[in-house]
Amino acid sequence: MNRRTLFFLLAVAAQILILAAVPAQKIYTRATGKSVMLKIRPVDPYNILSGYYVTLNYEITDPSSFPGAKDVSGNLVYAIIEKGSDGVWHPVSLTNSFPANLPENRLAIRGRYNYWRTTYGIEEFFIPEDKRDEIEKGLRENRDQARAEIKVDSKGNAALVRLLIGDHVYDN
Amino acid sequence: MAPEPNRSVKFRAALKREIPVLIQRGILTEEGASKITSLYEFDDIGKESSRLLAAVLFTLASLLIGGGVISFVAAHWNEISRGPKVALLFGTLLAFYIAGYWFKYRSGWPRLGHALIFCGCLIFGANIGLLAQIYQVSGSWYGLFGVWAVGVLLMSWAVRSWITGVLVIVTSLVWMVGFANDYHERLATVYPFLLAITLLPLAWVIRSRVLYTLTFLGLICALPALAIAQLSADGYMLIALAAGGFLSWAVGEFHRATGLREEFGTPLVNLGIAALASGAFLWSFKHMWHWLDLGDPNQFYWLIPAGCAVAAGVAAIARAWPKMDGSQRRFALGAIMVFVLVCLAMPSYRFNRVLPVIITNLAALVIAGVCIGRGILEERRLIFWAGSLYVATLVISRFFEYESSLLLKSVAFILCGIITMIAGIAYERFLHRREAVVQ
Repeated sequence: MNRRTLFFLLAVAAQILILAAVPAQKIYTRATGKSVMLKIRPVDPYNILSGYYVTLNYEITDPSSFPGAKDVSGNLVYAIIEKGSDGVWHPVSLTNSFPANLPENRLAIRGRYNYWRTTYGIEEFFIPEDKRDEIEKGLRENRDQARAEIKVDSKGNAALVRLLIGDHVYDN
Repeated sequence: MAPEPNRSVKFRAALKREIPVLIQRGILTEEGASKITSLYEFDDIGKESSRLLAAVLFTLASLLIGGGVISFVAAHWNEISRGPKVALLFGTLLAFYIAGYWFKYRSGWPRLGHALIFCGCLIFGANIGLLAQIYQVSGSWYGLFGVWAVGVLLMSWAVRSWITGVLVIVTSLVWMVGFANDYHERLATVYPFLLAITLLPLAWVIRSRVLYTLTFLGLICALPALAIAQLSADGYMLIALAAGGFLSWAVGEFHRATGLREEFGTPLVNLGIAALASGAFLWSFKHMWHWLDLGDPNQFYWLIPAGCAVAAGVAAIARAWPKMDGSQRRFALGAIMVFVLVCLAMPSYRFNRVLPVIITNLAALVIAGVCIGRGILEERRLIFWAGSLYVATLVISRFFEYESSLLLKSVAFILCGIITMIAGIAYERFLHRREAVVQ
């Protein structure tokens, strides 16, 4: 094998690795994570759809949903959530370190904190073009009933699995 | 390092046309002509033009086919389940690269292969976005462009391709703008250095004027973008733009004077002049200074790449200075003068609102003078007319910008007319003197 063939193969291999790395974390989390149902907060009705994805806001997105969130410093945070009697998980506290020995009904999700908003990498749900109008209408009519099913792995990484709006389930 | 022959097709074609004249007049021997023919590879000029046309056609065809394939897949996208979707994405990418490799290195159709590989690089970018959609990967919008740029950069080095290098400039610039404006403005300071380190050597090795010039254009765009992102204001944008323009102009003068990759010189000089001329023209309007926002004075990281650009420009001129002739030295000094004037405009703003307007107008006039002078001395009509048009635009802009009496405007126009006439007479005299010397 000559050098140019070797370099070409290395470049192609690097691109394949980059492509594989893009969804790797989500695939792992989906395969190994624990299923969690989160309530979607009403979003700005004029900005529900940005292009081909739905922008999602959760209870845990707003740092003020967590008591004592002001004491949190830095960028990396863990949101501790607890399963409620309605099957939906609700915010408990926000911390800077990954909590050890959480009870069975609690989980920690890794997020990025920037004072007014915490993001967990589950804020955008990509939708097919032919479902855009249906989802937009569903979100407007069921603003308090919309849920998102996510999976959370042992390190606290979250992956968005499906969207539940009223009776409809959207799974990409 | 010994000077290298100018590889520009335009220059070589003109030289080839002159060879019979030089032989006929006894200036050049047949043996000398043969050596020149061999050195400048005159026999390849026609082939190179045909190759360029073929490369353009193949690239266009690949883009159209790639677009067609993507549209076809997109039309059936929702009906395909996740596994086959992923297989289709990787399969398409590999198919383009395998075909590209085969045509480029094995079958004697290198331009077609090159075009297919370029198309593969575009598909690579599309695949990143589509994989993120399939697996609901959320993140910053600019992240896609950053990852895309890294993958394409590796490919452009692997296949020594200028067009994929251009794709790296575009994608990485988009990434930098997003990254710098998303609370990473200090970290983004490394971007101009990364761009220069990764692409200029490639352009040098493959002797690509386009890639070399566009990399400098990328630097010229990156410096003001960084200043805006860091200061959250456009106050120092002019200095950052001028630093990039000065660098390009100075490095261009270096190539022209030293003969090292001489063909890189003229495009860089033109690019540098265009950048400085754009900056000086925009800031020659008084309203640009009235609305100036200097932003946060503690954010000075953008000065690191801008300062390095200026230092590199000065070093390039200093290195080339001994090899410059009189007119080249005057042009190099013109570049320095324009840059200094533009930089002086900014501090003068703190004392007076009129002074920076006068200084930028002066800088614009120096640029116009350099262009006209260069056009005359080097007998390059395009740059002569560009300079003339620039100064005319400047005068007309001031005419409409300031509400002054018609009498004053008439005096200004008559003065401009007289100056132009004097310049024309001087040009004619110069031509007569030259003709006398030739005869």
